[in-house]
Amino acid sequence: MRFQGPEGEIRLFRNLMLSIGAGESVAILGASGSGKSTLLGLLAGLDTPSEGRIFIGDTDITALDEDQRAILRGRELGFVFQAFHLLSGLTALENVMLPLELSGTPRAAATARQALSDVGLGERSGHYPRQLSGGEQQRVAIARAFVTSPRLLLADEPTGNLDQATGGRVSDLLFQRNHETGTTLVLVTHDPVLAARCDRVLQLSDGRLEAA
Amino acid sequence: MSSLRYAARLLLRDWHAGELRLLALSLILSVTAITAVAWLADRVGAATEGRASELLGGDRAVVGNESLPPELADKALERGLSVSRTLEFPSVVLFGEQTQLSSIKAVESGYPLRGSLLVGDHPDDARRETREVPSSGEVWVEPRLLLQLDAEPGDEIELGASRFVIGKVLFLEPDRGGGFQSLSPRLMLNADDIADTGLVQDGSRIRYGLLVAGEDQAVSDWAAAVEPLLGDGVRLQRPGEGQAGVSRAMEAAQRFLGLSALLTVVVGGVGMLLTIRRYVARHLDRVAIMRCLGATERQIGAILTWKMLLLGVITAAVGTLFGFLLHLLMLRFIADLLPDLPSAGWQPAATGVVAAQIILLGFALPTVLRLRRVPPLRVLRRDLGDQIARGVGAYPIALGAVFLLMWWQAGDLRLAAWVFGAVLGTLLVLGLAAFALVQSLRTLRRGRSGIILRLSGLTRRPLTASIQIMALGLGLMALLLLTVVRTDLLATWQDGLPADAANHFLINIQPEEAEGVEQRLRDAGIEANVYPMVRGRLVAINDETVTPEDYADPQTRRLMSREFNLSQLETLPEDNTVRAGRFWADESSPEPAFSVEVDIAERMGVGVGDSLTFDAGGSRYTAVISNLREVRWDSFNVNFFVASSPGVLDDAPATYITSFYLPAEERRLLTDLVRNYPSVTVIDIDAILDTVRGIMDQGTRVVELMALLTLFAGLVVLLAALQVTREERRFEGALLRSLGASRALIRRLALGEFLLLGASAGLLAGLGAAVAGQLMATQLFELDYGFNVWLPLLGGAAGALIVTVAGVLATRGLYRSSPMQLLKGAEEG
Repeated sequence: MRFQGPEGEIRLFRNLMLSIGAGESVAILGASGSGKSTLLGLLAGLDTPSEGRIFIGDTDITALDEDQRAILRGRELGFVFQAFHLLSGLTALENVMLPLELSGTPRAAATARQALSDVGLGERSGHYPRQLSGGEQQRVAIARAFVTSPRLLLADEPTGNLDQATGGRVSDLLFQRNHETGTTLVLVTHDPVLAARCDRVLQLSDGRLEAA
Repeated sequence: MSSLRYAARLLLRDWHAGELRLLALSLILSVTAITAVAWLADRVGAATEGRASELLGGDRAVVGNESLPPELADKALERGLSVSRTLEFPSVVLFGEQTQLSSIKAVESGYPLRGSLLVGDHPDDARRETREVPSSGEVWVEPRLLLQLDAEPGDEIELGASRFVIGKVLFLEPDRGGGFQSLSPRLMLNADDIADTGLVQDGSRIRYGLLVAGEDQAVSDWAAAVEPLLGDGVRLQRPGEGQAGVSRAMEAAQRFLGLSALLTVVVGGVGMLLTIRRYVARHLDRVAIMRCLGATERQIGAILTWKMLLLGVITAAVGTLFGFLLHLLMLRFIADLLPDLPSAGWQPAATGVVAAQIILLGFALPTVLRLRRVPPLRVLRRDLGDQIARGVGAYPIALGAVFLLMWWQAGDLRLAAWVFGAVLGTLLVLGLAAFALVQSLRTLRRGRSGIILRLSGLTRRPLTASIQIMALGLGLMALLLLTVVRTDLLATWQDGLPADAANHFLINIQPEEAEGVEQRLRDAGIEANVYPMVRGRLVAINDETVTPEDYADPQTRRLMSREFNLSQLETLPEDNTVRAGRFWADESSPEPAFSVEVDIAERMGVGVGDSLTFDAGGSRYTAVISNLREVRWDSFNVNFFVASSPGVLDDAPATYITSFYLPAEERRLLTDLVRNYPSVTVIDIDAILDTVRGIMDQGTRVVELMALLTLFAGLVVLLAALQVTREERRFEGALLRSLGASRALIRRLALGEFLLLGASAGLLAGLGAAVAGQLMATQLFELDYGFNVWLPLLGGAAGALIVTVAGVLATRGLYRSSPMQLLKGAEEG
């Protein structure tokens, strides 16, 4: 897989062949700079490879244009980021509602309220991100990720910005919601403990992906 | 999802998050400026027109040499307008043994419909306004008629078959005008008395007038309805028409107003451009997340567009309200000058709404819409998409919007194009100069310079610094233009009508008296040219007979049906400039030739080389046009449309004319002249000049108020520029402090940077303003104004002061908290 970097083409992944089954949870471990996030971005259709193809279900997302991929993301994918990425001007509830509203799903508020209750934040739906702790913000992000009932959930260092205790509770929640919904989970991390909770752990180094 | 509803919610959230405040403020300020200027210009313009109406005695006047058809007045009355009829004719007034040719005017009650008469009980009395007219059996007379008749108020005079008591001294009638139709001293009487005098007979030389006044639309309707009914010898007059000096003054005042409005638009635009980039930069992450969560480009585009449109409507409403209040405040300042203001119209409000949308569509929307292109991958890689906030692709649209606004505000394509070109060129030059300046500072940095220069944002961020200097420079330049240069220009403009502008005309000087009069004036220390004046009718151009009917334009036709006042010139008068051909003064024995005023030549369709034939007193005088002259009519000197070289009109019947300035305390000279040369008529135009000066003063004060508005806009631009770098400053301050820098050092750094930034911008702005001022003076206002060498120094000092004070105030408290908090704050910002 070749990739267009800022200073010309970078050959980042070599003979990378990865297939993830429905409902499976996969952790991708790698050192800083190994290309974990780039791989995640490609899997999510946030970016396209200059060579190679990526399928979600039967859909070749490398053949879609950006808007088609956006619609696909809104329908099929959920995201949890290291930096939470909640919109600062929106309340917790409004943040969770956002993907539903973007896809034009009816009864967005009720669905979002239920999703917040599912992560234990039903009482805090009117709070803005800056009024919430880091752990709470990530729980809102998890609620937002699951609210559209996505087929694939992508998590990028979901506990990276949290202390150990909070990180533990957040990862418990993540896996609990994953089991409850039967969503496919791809998790990128450098934390072997977190990775070990997945069905399968892959190591990314030198552009090669190998079972750890 | 409803984009509109969602946009409204996001807008509200943006507002609560404080992200819109600066952008909204810029926009509100622009709209406030535009609407305040629009309302002020609208109402002051109407009031100034009102002053011009006073000089007409009404909103419109019909004058004719034959009795006016009664339907003219009827049609006015039908429309609810006020009317007043006047009659004017020359007649001899008798007082004992004395006789004097006078200009008789009969008026009805209600006269004048605009303005008022100034009267007194005695020539030395204070002048007072009156709304009355002479009562039956009474006449009001000009002081010089008393002088010429040796009469006093209360004396009885004879006019035709009637006797009248001199009731009051008439100092000023607003519609007296400065033309030559009313040379003899005025005697005013009630129209009811006119029949008894027996002076109005068939064939009498009578000038009939009808003054009309009332609501604007009705007046225009009436004028449109009666204009086709007017015969050849009848003319409809509008305010400002036929009064060259006054209309020039009004035109100049309106140009100043237009220019002030344009500068406000430009300064407001700079503010918008500065804030919108920051707004976009702060929205990159939000849009990336939305894209990541499934928003399409179209959805993002629709939401952003609705947001901007809503913002435009709201800010337009607020700005228009502020604009209205501000113009009321401004009007309070000039209330004493404008006693009868027309009520405020709704058009300026519409102007505000349209302007807000043009500004937003031009300045904000193209930049904001670039947000659609934020790569969703930014959620994983923060550096992606940063260039979107920095793009300059939207600037051409902004420039287009500026031009559109300028054109619209100026209502004059040439003026708009000129100012637009000037602004563009200025920005370019300012940008290049700023870049050169910053680069030279960078060179200095490499040498042995202090830490201040080495760490200054000015040398570390050369491009940002150049842009800041450019923007601040433009703002400061506008301020300098509107304060120093404007004051200079206004002074120069008013100098154009010097305190010693001619205030008296002597006419009807007989040829044998000319030398004596000139000598007497010279004895009194007055240098005045005495010109011969020959009344002649143009009968042929290039030996082909011409008649008024040869011309389609009604005004030209009227002009050609009258006699020209011709003169002979030996030298070119000071207020004349040759525009084509050569003036004969340079030649030793000039050929017989005519010199024609350029505008009249254009009307007649003649140029240098054409021959003109005039009929004066039955003889014909033919000569070739050797040059065309431009005349400064507002000098109030004696000037002629057509003049000949010496010798051409020698044997034509002529009287002589002159003009001069006479201070009030030397008025005895007039008495002397009248006694020694009884046939000479003295015309006092001090009253007319006072009116012109009044209009100029009024214009000056209004323009000064508008400059205040632009000044305010400039200060907001300054704050916006500082706001843009606020987060960066906060972060760098924290970083430096964590590396061990003291607060004092960081403050000194900031202070040094503000000083340098302000001084650089001010210096360039001063240079620019000096050049622009000179260009404007010569190109736009035709004023003689030199390069002000103090402006760059003044600009540099003012820039350093303003930027430092504003900068220190705006960054106050920024460096007080601990470095850790600052780093956190910077990240969140």
